[in-house]
Amino acid sequence: MSYINSYCHISNDTVKINGENSTSIDSDSIEEIIRELYLSLELKYSKFHKMDQLSKIAFIGTELIKQANPEISKSGENDIALLFSNSRSSADTDIKFQESYQNGGIPSPSLFVYTLPNILIGEIAIRNKWYGENMFTISSIFDSEYYANYCNILIKKNAEAALCGWINVDDDKIEAFFFFVTKKDLKQLNLPLDSNMLEKIYRQD
Amino acid sequence: MITYIGSENIISPLGDSARENFIKVKNNETGISLFSGIGVDKEDLYLSKIGTLSDNNKFDVLLAKCLDSIIKESSDNIINSKDTIVILSTTKADIQENLTAPIQSSVEKIKVAYKLHHTPLVISNACISGVLAMNTANNFIQSNIYKHAFVIGADVISDFVLFGFQSLYAISNEVCQPFDKERKGISLGEGAAGVLMSSESSVFKKEALEFVEGTSSNDANHISGPSRTGEGLYRTVQKTMELANIKSSEIDFISAHGTGTLFNDEMESIAFDRLNMNNIPLNSLKGYFGHTLGAAGLIETAISMQSIRTNTLVKSLGFEAEGTSGGINILTQNLEKEVSTILKTASGFGGCNASAIIRNI
Repeated sequence: MSYINSYCHISNDTVKINGENSTSIDSDSIEEIIRELYLSLELKYSKFHKMDQLSKIAFIGTELIKQANPEISKSGENDIALLFSNSRSSADTDIKFQESYQNGGIPSPSLFVYTLPNILIGEIAIRNKWYGENMFTISSIFDSEYYANYCNILIKKNAEAALCGWINVDDDKIEAFFFFVTKKDLKQLNLPLDSNMLEKIYRQD
Repeated sequence: MITYIGSENIISPLGDSARENFIKVKNNETGISLFSGIGVDKEDLYLSKIGTLSDNNKFDVLLAKCLDSIIKESSDNIINSKDTIVILSTTKADIQENLTAPIQSSVEKIKVAYKLHHTPLVISNACISGVLAMNTANNFIQSNIYKHAFVIGADVISDFVLFGFQSLYAISNEVCQPFDKERKGISLGEGAAGVLMSSESSVFKKEALEFVEGTSSNDANHISGPSRTGEGLYRTVQKTMELANIKSSEIDFISAHGTGTLFNDEMESIAFDRLNMNNIPLNSLKGYFGHTLGAAGLIETAISMQSIRTNTLVKSLGFEAEGTSGGINILTQNLEKEVSTILKTASGFGGCNASAIIRNI
């Protein structure tokens, strides 16, 4: 058994922590929204500005989860599994990379490195010095059963905790959901992890 | 409980079955050849490309052929069982055909065509996807979530991926030479490979092997540059050996990743040196198949399983002179010896690394 200790939704106009509004965003462009969210974190991380949109949102969500769970920093460096998924893979950057070489252009190496969705896991690992299990999966909808099963498996096997996320972004829309699972109940939300519970909090947005 | 692994299959320019591929590899034949005018500046480049299949819909054709072959080598009807999951490993699927949703239609087609009980799980974690897919299957089986897993990896060559690697100056202008002093980069490849993994040995038509354990670890260092200390690779191999309760002295052979780039191969040699695995015979199979990305882990595992079955290790094609600092035992010729336990490793962009141990029963 493992426990959900915090979760976070990010959409175009709101950030919710554990289901409650924490930030309202008033902007039309995705780029602007991401910039505002980054500024609201009040931290300086120069690598952030080189990331693609998908990694930027993953970074922001991870920082918000860390703020809600200061205990994360006490975890061992091998102990946090990073499980992410989405339905669009890296489509947002794939389109931009394809545009870079079409019509006789030069393919952009800085775009190409972001044409793998698991790069966002790498960005989180680098930022936090987390060496644990990695997994990026692609599914057409948020798969609560997979998440509940696989978090429980890894936590039983060789992780103390799992940071998970579902992130889709395109030109018009951000849809992101993060949650943090631990072996030990940190008594914050008293939410045992199972697929029904996960589905319920995912849909709270 | 044992996780059994078997019914391995490979589809590559070298052939349509694991056996056919292994015979060619044993004869040190390569699937890599020169293609003219295909680069971003219309230059000639070396690829391991399947000429016998049309480029149209190639990804789906590869998946289906591979799945058919595994089904033929296993008990009837387990593909449709509620205890069965299909796990697909790919980096870019059919990116040339469908830029914004390259994998969904393939998943749907397979689900319908094979009357699957569960939607296939798609793992897209750069070049460790194949090993990670087997690790995931093992974890599901050991936790009694599923009894059987059909694990398939596939990727096809596209302008998208070729031009991308060219933009990083990662493509060799010769046939790739993993671990060699003169190595200049990768040769891109395409293909598919798969295995059946199960908690029941009776579902395999030929004798199965044991999938002992597998883990992954991140370098936490750089998104596209390998760690200078081989950190993630070192950690995942250590974790896997610990969980498997296997010492490095028990490992007969390492099927390394060995892409043929300067930094990757150097990183791997450092990690194996830190693991005191300097004397264990090791190869990279990229000289035979090129770098097949999401298929690589499964192609190389399937060949290594053939090595266990035939007690024959194949030489690391393209390697002549030591070109890494770790001091590792790269196979310069085929070697007949008893092969019981093997270590498979993979490393990829995003700083990810994975490892798995398979042994004879």
